Amino acid sequence: MRLIRPTFPVFLVSCLAVSQFGDPGTALQTPDPSADFALSFAEARNGGPSDPAFPTVRRQWGCRGPHHGVAEDSLGKYEFYFTRTIYSGYRRGCSWSVDYPRADRIFLHGLRRMTVIDAYDMENPVRLDDPELLRFPFIYALEVGAMGLTPSEEEGLRNYLLAGGFLFVDDFWGTYEWLNFEREISRVLPEYAVREIPLDHPVFRTVYDVDSIVQVPNLGNGRSGWRTHESDGYVPHVRGIFDDNDRLMVAVHWNTDLGDAWEWADDPYYPLKYSNYAWQVAINFIVYAMTH
Amino acid sequence: MESLFEFLFKYRPLIFERGDFMFSAPWTIYVAAVVGVGLLVPTVLLYSRARGKSRPIDRTVLSGLRILALALLLFSLFRPVLVLSTVVPQKNFLGILVDDSRSMRLADADGASRSSLVRQYFGAEDSELLSELAEKFILRFFRFSAEAERIHDVSTMGFTGNKTDLGRALSRARQELASVPLAGLVLMTDGADNTHESLEEPLLGLRARSVPVYTVGLGQEEFPRDVEVSRVETPRSVLLGASLVVDVTVTQSGYTGSTVDLIVEDDGRIVNTQQVELPREGEVATVRIPFKATEPGPRVFGFRIAPLDGELVVENNEQEALIVVEDHRKKILYFEGEPRWEIGFLRRAVAEDENLEVTLLTRTADNKFYRILFDNPDEKLVGGFPTTREELFEYQGLVLGSAEASFFTLDQLRMIADFVSQRGGGLLMLGGRRAFVEGGYAETPIADVLPVVLEGTDAEEDFLAEVQVSVTLSGRTHPITQLAETIDESAARWEDLPPLMTVNRITEVKPGATTLLEGEGPGVSDQIVLAYQRYGRGKSLVLPVRDLWAWQMRTPLEDMTHETFWRQLLRWAISGVPDRVRVASVADRVAPEEAIELVGEVEDDTYLKVNNTSVVARVTSPSGMVDSVAMDWTVDRDGEYRAAFLPREDGLHKVEVSALEDGEFLASDASYVRVKDPAREYFGSEMQEATLRRIADETGGRFYTPSTVSTLAEDISFTESGTTVVEQRDLWDMPIIFMLLMILISTEWGYRRLRGLV
Repeated sequence: MRLIRPTFPVFLVSCLAVSQFGDPGTALQTPDPSADFALSFAEARNGGPSDPAFPTVRRQWGCRGPHHGVAEDSLGKYEFYFTRTIYSGYRRGCSWSVDYPRADRIFLHGLRRMTVIDAYDMENPVRLDDPELLRFPFIYALEVGAMGLTPSEEEGLRNYLLAGGFLFVDDFWGTYEWLNFEREISRVLPEYAVREIPLDHPVFRTVYDVDSIVQVPNLGNGRSGWRTHESDGYVPHVRGIFDDNDRLMVAVHWNTDLGDAWEWADDPYYPLKYSNYAWQVAINFIVYAMTH
Repeated sequence: MESLFEFLFKYRPLIFERGDFMFSAPWTIYVAAVVGVGLLVPTVLLYSRARGKSRPIDRTVLSGLRILALALLLFSLFRPVLVLSTVVPQKNFLGILVDDSRSMRLADADGASRSSLVRQYFGAEDSELLSELAEKFILRFFRFSAEAERIHDVSTMGFTGNKTDLGRALSRARQELASVPLAGLVLMTDGADNTHESLEEPLLGLRARSVPVYTVGLGQEEFPRDVEVSRVETPRSVLLGASLVVDVTVTQSGYTGSTVDLIVEDDGRIVNTQQVELPREGEVATVRIPFKATEPGPRVFGFRIAPLDGELVVENNEQEALIVVEDHRKKILYFEGEPRWEIGFLRRAVAEDENLEVTLLTRTADNKFYRILFDNPDEKLVGGFPTTREELFEYQGLVLGSAEASFFTLDQLRMIADFVSQRGGGLLMLGGRRAFVEGGYAETPIADVLPVVLEGTDAEEDFLAEVQVSVTLSGRTHPITQLAETIDESAARWEDLPPLMTVNRITEVKPGATTLLEGEGPGVSDQIVLAYQRYGRGKSLVLPVRDLWAWQMRTPLEDMTHETFWRQLLRWAISGVPDRVRVASVADRVAPEEAIELVGEVEDDTYLKVNNTSVVARVTSPSGMVDSVAMDWTVDRDGEYRAAFLPREDGLHKVEVSALEDGEFLASDASYVRVKDPAREYFGSEMQEATLRRIADETGGRFYTPSTVSTLAEDISFTESGTTVVEQRDLWDMPIIFMLLMILISTEWGYRRLRGLV
């Protein structure tokens, strides 16, 4: 239930303005200076800066972003780590790294400004078959239309979800990609079905009142305003997998691209309304995952 | 020894104790002095002037011997006597109090029962003791157990009493014989008083009236072979499914080093068995045994050791305890200053516990809260953390997460402290970046409540440690930390759990607090992980770690440690939290025809005592008969009400108490009490010589055993109580005087022979 209705758009714009131009005099929580979302093209291509303080994640050639986990002195220091899953797949196995790490960092920046969640402000990619995954009860996966899990990844994800972990899925479109994801997740949790999460579910009321499911377009479509869908994904859906106690284990945002809305929230041509919605939905699901 | 004394000194020591020594010669002291000097001076002069072969040392020895002999003769000539008060036959009364309790049936008097000795002394017509006493005194018999009453014949006694109250028996006999010349009281008992009442007052009354009590101890001071379950400490009520760890005290004689099974039964069903090595003789073994309360309602738990070969008393191998297993929800408010994983994992851990109702309130943004409630969702906690005592005190438990102290007003901080100290609630503070010193709690009212020392106002900068949790000695046997069926298995389980992160450096507990879990990690030792203390009427606990959920995420799926720990922790935190109206019987078990004493307490919704209001107890008997008893305010204690009720049936009685104020219902509570023959007569039933000696010594009487009781009649006759005459007993003809005289003269003669002075 929302107790105080925030002026969300105004707050978000001010938050982004601060992050872009820097306002040392602000009383708001300021981000860690190391949270540099404007990663250079070279860094992005080469896997990011090499820093011995960060444990290295097994490199996948050609994938975007830095390949490292949480800095050693930060592991366990924060409550929330935006953990992106590294999974095997078809597009040379790099679909996990779409929007990475810029979307992660900008999202975390907004999360820290809009809530009191004690969030680590850097990305945190972890392989599904890495036992360290169990240190992070929230994981994010996108472009799962190209997902092709190995047996060890299936087992890792299954154990993770049944132990209490939460999977947030985003940015895949159309029937073909849905069928691929459905096949993959049904191998992980064969005993549980994916079902629609109705709008009256508490997850849509934890922090913000979300009254409708909005289709969030990718950067190009959002900028051009031409259309919001991709492939045959005309209608956005929020679906979920619930355990025996009706706990939401997997939240699936299909036919929508929340990641782009975070990543390009500072783009003057990307409509702010989509970013507003993307943050609201994600924050609602994160708070729900943390409290249920 | 006593007979040797009597041979040498003519009389028994008691005569000397009771009598006054004096000389009864008709001469005055001057005549005596003249005679003495007249004998001694010539003796000394003669010996000192004598010469010849004698040396000075010879003359000194010989004169000394001669002087001693003369002094002894002089002593006898002055006619020493003992002046004694003795009773006038048949002019005095003697009260004889005989123990009529069940412990008198024990056959530890050389194969005979204690009661058979009583019958032998007072029931048989040819009894020497009885005839001697009857010759000197007018006898009045009393039997006693819980009460004392006059009887005419001890042969009518059945020895069926279920309580031994020595003090009441002595007072009753003294009062009943107050108007007659009383020579004393004879107390014939094993002395195994089981009332736990002080004897001070009854003895004071006897001393004031100079009534000596002659105690006769029947039975053995220590049984040759016996095992006793002496004591069991249990809570009166627990939540359904609660883990209990109960202290059972075991003593023994004759079985040192033996191993026996201690069995716990829930209304006859075995719920746990633990092997116990019996302690050395005279020592007490305290056994901590865990078990679960799995059936709701009033349950009788039995703690027993099977009878061993050769045991004299088997009835003391078992203790029973009535525990009310409550099957209703207890309310806990969990307040978090920020969304945390602990919230979800805690709620999941206790979701299937139908006796815990965890209401969640978490701040999601500044001045924005997320609530998960169980009832009245539109009304409660809308404005955040409770601001009134009524609102907060409706919960039994409060969990404070990572919320800085400055979030609360000073009134709210005080209210939280009162929640523990006055309302009696359970407070648990979790670790986090906004908790403890890091949250600015040092020097706040909550710092006083917590069991740990919060030093300084500045937190240790960026403290972060991963610690492996281990269980302390206290924690090994605590209900919260029992992770397995047995204590050893539970202790082993702690070693396998994943490490936890902490951002709160806490190393010191307050005096009186107990540490149950501690942690160690790289560069970190003595980190407190779980500690508690009693504070006022409630208790406070700290758990300064931030990711207990690791025990769920990082253990095998089938592992239930996380769930078990949270449930036990929260259940223990709220166990014994009082309601606004409370009722309890003074004892959870009373004997038939013994009154049930009820004590109740009444408080309003802010837990302030309510005096002089209408409180009614409804007592429902096993057959369904209902009696209403008004409970009266005790006046000397705020909010306390008392009543007594005499049950008419055996069995379990339910007591429901309702309180009204100005005609409006305040609250109610229920309790249970059993009416059943108690087995207390068989516990601590050895002959209590120390108690009986004390009674005799403090009143001027004497302690006897069956081997010395034959002199009882004569001893009592030397008393100053009652109608007495004074008599003198000569001492000059004591054999010891004649013997000493002979020794002195013989020694002098022998010395002369030896030295050639004859």
